[in-house]
Amino acid sequence: MLRLAYRNLFQSKVRLAMSVGGVALALMLILALDAVMNGSEERLTAYIDNSGADVWVAQSGVRNLHMVSSWIPAEVTDEVRDVPGVESATPIMYLTAPVGTKNEQSLAYVIGLPKDAAMGKPWRVVEGKAVPEPGEAVIDSSVAERSGIRLGDKVKILGQKFEVSGLAEGTSTLTNSVAFISMKDFERVRGGGKVVSFVLVKVDPGRSPEAVAKRIEEDVGGVTAQSTQAFAEQERRLVNNMAGDLLAIMNLAGFTTGLAVVALTVYTATLARRTEYGVLKALGARNARLYGIVLAQALYSVVLGFAVGLAFTLVLSAAMPALDANLPMQVGVTSLLKVGGVSLVIAALSAVLPIRQIAGLDPAAVFRG
Amino acid sequence: MNDSTKDSTLRIEHVSKRFGSGETKVVAVRDVSLDVAPGEVVLIMGPSGSGKSTLLSMLGALLKPTEGEIRLGDEVLSALSENRLPTVRLHQFGFIFQDFNLLSALTVLENVALVAELAGAKRSQAREKARAQLTELGLAERLDFLPEKLSGGEKQRVAIARALINDPALILADEPTANLDSSIGHEVTRLLRHIAREQNRSVIIVSHDARIKDIADRVLWLEDGQFKDMVSMATDPVCGMAVEKEKAVVAEWNGRTFYFCSRGCRNEFVEDPGRFTDGDDV
Repeated sequence: MLRLAYRNLFQSKVRLAMSVGGVALALMLILALDAVMNGSEERLTAYIDNSGADVWVAQSGVRNLHMVSSWIPAEVTDEVRDVPGVESATPIMYLTAPVGTKNEQSLAYVIGLPKDAAMGKPWRVVEGKAVPEPGEAVIDSSVAERSGIRLGDKVKILGQKFEVSGLAEGTSTLTNSVAFISMKDFERVRGGGKVVSFVLVKVDPGRSPEAVAKRIEEDVGGVTAQSTQAFAEQERRLVNNMAGDLLAIMNLAGFTTGLAVVALTVYTATLARRTEYGVLKALGARNARLYGIVLAQALYSVVLGFAVGLAFTLVLSAAMPALDANLPMQVGVTSLLKVGGVSLVIAALSAVLPIRQIAGLDPAAVFRG
Repeated sequence: MNDSTKDSTLRIEHVSKRFGSGETKVVAVRDVSLDVAPGEVVLIMGPSGSGKSTLLSMLGALLKPTEGEIRLGDEVLSALSENRLPTVRLHQFGFIFQDFNLLSALTVLENVALVAELAGAKRSQAREKARAQLTELGLAERLDFLPEKLSGGEKQRVAIARALINDPALILADEPTANLDSSIGHEVTRLLRHIAREQNRSVIIVSHDARIKDIADRVLWLEDGQFKDMVSMATDPVCGMAVEKEKAVVAEWNGRTFYFCSRGCRNEFVEDPGRFTDGDDV
């Protein structure tokens, strides 16, 4: 019976191509969107993940970077250093602000770094220095490339002009990049007393970041301390929540398109062979066997569509860096499982109507011409 | 042939089939009775709308009668649940259709093997059986062809192979020669007769083709859902022609009645009956 399903489907090459192509495009929509989200998610927390810190200490109640401000007294850094289990602590300043280049403005996480910063600095510098001196800035290399900025050129950050002294890699996301200036410049531009945004903590070897974070919260008042892992997870969750509706709509669009294409293909394939199904019924084939043929046809279409869609997505992912470095794509296992599950649901639903058709077939009709 | 059904006689008793009710009620078949013995070829003729298809559907366990009983051997088919009918059709009946009704996506071999698989045979076993059956019907060279590549006669032979693959007790043929030219049609009817005689299967044919009378043991005329005039057929032992018993020239010999197409044949028979009484059943 599986052979019959296979042959029925493959006999009409045009219909098969349309079906597989349609399903492939629909599933690719879901896969590609997931891949963009996965890739962006990884970039989104790139600064946190590569900060070198084990624990992030922030203003009480602040649990992530995106769209927040965190201000804690500068002396908290020394208080944190005194907490048992803390090996070292680096304060950083942080604001979300535009970076103005020659011809455009792009949003950036602006980080103020102390001169001797052990943590929180750019982790991959392609040109120049990692920690800027006063009057200097380190910006993302793709932002610089897009704007034609080179070392020694000027950019505008927080209303002040800075000379570009370093270009970092991997510090841009779909929506923003990370720019680094000196702590001194940050304090000067911001004004308003001795404060820092976060204290980045390295814990003693063998100590649990979670335990040390808890101890910091207990010993230092008015702060929230989280392990880097927890801090990054909060960041991802926030952005996912923000993009959740869009993602749901696009997934629904992909699902509906895929369902419509497979349903139409399987329905027309069944309708075209209505007489043959009637003959099989008359000869003694049970309904369950005939339903199996329809389901198998739907499954074949979807599996082929999934394979083609995945291949397209992988090609697109590979080609994306050459097209736009700010749109990283990463096809994850979770995404594959999700789209695989969606495909199975599409196959099952698309078989419902043809199955109803077959159920209603009267085997005696074979003798009525 | 299946041992359990070898001596199965199809018996229908006072069978009627009504569709609809009240003013829209249509009686397609009314109070029809018929026995078909193993090895017998019965031809059912009649005008369009006479109830032939409905009767054939009931005989083939595709449709249940409103009244009456249909038996195959000891089994009352008309009393079986809908759920059991597919199994009965698969094992006890072979169907042959006017339009051949082969599955267009499958090869000749697969078309026949599929029905054996439906009946529970393993794939390799089913293919072997199908290959043997098709070879016996002269289609050994066509096993891997798709139906569209076959002539009408070949298609009908594939359909016959498919009908025989599960060793059924009965063959039901609906206008088996309608889409064939006369020589191929003749070949198919001879094949059906061979199946009845040599394999001891009952063959019931519904057809408008009067030439099939030649191979039928009985010809029944269905009109307005009833058999009007039952014609029994016999074979002239001298010339081999099918003759209607009631119109034939008759001779008695050795306690048996023989039927002839003409006095000439009868006279030839009477001169030396021993020459003609071996062989075909008269």
